[in-house]
Amino acid sequence: MSAVRALLNRKPHTLRVLSASGQLGYGIPSKALATGLARQPDFIGCDMGSVDPGPAYLGSGEMATSPAITRSDLEAVLVAARRLDIPLIIGTAGTAGAGPHLDATLAMIRSIAKEHQLHFRLASIRADLNPERVIQALDANVLKALGGELPVTRADLMASAHIVGQMGCAPFEQALQLDPDVIIAGRACDTAIFAAIPKVLGFNMANVMHMAKIIECTSICCEPGGRDAMLATLDDQGFELESMNPDRSATPLSVAAHSLYEQSDPMSFTEPDGTLRVDQALYRAIDDRRTHVSGATWQDAAETTIKVEASQLVGHRAVLLAGTADPRVITRLPELMKIVENTTRGLVSGEYEIYPRLYGIDGVYPRQDSKLLNAPREVFILVEVIAKTPELALAATKTFKQFLLHQGFSGRQCTGGNLAFPFTPPELAAGPAYRFSAYHVMPAPDHQTLFPVSIETL
Amino acid sequence: MTQLKDVATVVRSKNAGPLTLSFDLMFPTVQTFVQALSSSALSAESIGYLYDTAAHQVLITPYPAACAIKIAMPRKTVSGSPGDRDVYGAQQHVPLLEIEL
Repeated sequence: MSAVRALLNRKPHTLRVLSASGQLGYGIPSKALATGLARQPDFIGCDMGSVDPGPAYLGSGEMATSPAITRSDLEAVLVAARRLDIPLIIGTAGTAGAGPHLDATLAMIRSIAKEHQLHFRLASIRADLNPERVIQALDANVLKALGGELPVTRADLMASAHIVGQMGCAPFEQALQLDPDVIIAGRACDTAIFAAIPKVLGFNMANVMHMAKIIECTSICCEPGGRDAMLATLDDQGFELESMNPDRSATPLSVAAHSLYEQSDPMSFTEPDGTLRVDQALYRAIDDRRTHVSGATWQDAAETTIKVEASQLVGHRAVLLAGTADPRVITRLPELMKIVENTTRGLVSGEYEIYPRLYGIDGVYPRQDSKLLNAPREVFILVEVIAKTPELALAATKTFKQFLLHQGFSGRQCTGGNLAFPFTPPELAAGPAYRFSAYHVMPAPDHQTLFPVSIETL
Repeated sequence: MTQLKDVATVVRSKNAGPLTLSFDLMFPTVQTFVQALSSSALSAESIGYLYDTAAHQVLITPYPAACAIKIAMPRKTVSGSPGDRDVYGAQQHVPLLEIEL
């Protein structure tokens, strides 16, 4: 009998959920994982991705994490789950959860299974959306940008390298029906990884979603926060939280404060199937390290909605890295950058964009005033060029470098050169450049069938 | 006058999705939280002025459970698009530090 079937048949009244990683692939702290496994969890969940690292990974199909560390993290959780014969659920496979990410993750799972002679049922859920499905929503005027402005056209969607939908619980529930031991999903709500099993077992949805919302980040909800495995124990009264690292404490304040993390509204969270409200939630200390949570509310959605994420190639990037410490160069630098950009455009023809950033002046936060009253001691100069071809991007960067090095100005003393290069070449090809072409929400009455589920026996 | 950085225990920023910038201000006591909440320096107008954003786009939500104030506003540049300066949005809180409460 599969691990999922055994758990669903057993129908426990108390469910122990182990969140092993909130970002699988960067290394799972092993001591806390071992402690969590010794607590006999009923299942293990891991989140493996996020939209945070930007559009490059969704666009390129590559992982943000190193293949070696990713494989060893997958090995740690897969071997453990099979040893305990409990379900393992991983969501947003391979950083962005599109086809190539999911396929690369599944290939690693199969290779680990072979190496350890593990035999089990592996379900996978694809999150790629057909552009036509999203265009339908666009045409019906029901595709809405989420939290800001992002105009999107039919052409943008057709030209996007990958488009994914962020699945909620329903596709996981479909996968659970196939009697798997392991489920690997493409782009998924972090909550769905941890909520699908308790939802099917009939636990109160408000507690289930609130628990899932907190533990998907492992021990970030603790004081001090960290990446160690987190255990939640769910029953009909609520749930209890405990970090598997004894140096981290889940206190009522640290757990309540977690609702703020990376959210625009700390009281209310919209998921595909409904809305979780935590303004009435109660956080009670059990002891110094554990907190009991109850009292959130859940409202089923009148209409299921899903998030749509798409990434589109915008060109090829080259960058120049240089420093300067000469006070007269620094004071004139914003002006020199403009002069050299004009020179570059005169000498290197073609379509490209130049994005200079002067660290020490305006690298992180644009200045609203142009005068430098207190010039910094040193400035780091990053010039980013994006062009249709890698060759053109690099050509413009090289010319920019040389003319900025030797740009004259009145009172210039450093006639040997305006710049310090940390190494050569100081201009580097940085690969394809992407942008998010969609970060929208759309109605999805077809949520359950939009994410194809398949099963294989290893 | 007191500056925000001298009162708050946490002043942080982070994306809430690639289109939204979110800020958390956390305070050590109910009293400091309530004081900050009543300060006109933390109105949607004042914050919007600081970030060159219209007041109606600045959402301020008190979160008493953690003695915290959440601020959210649209990002000027979509995270990771050409020209972005802070993909994660984790260093956009700095203009708030010296707000006079």
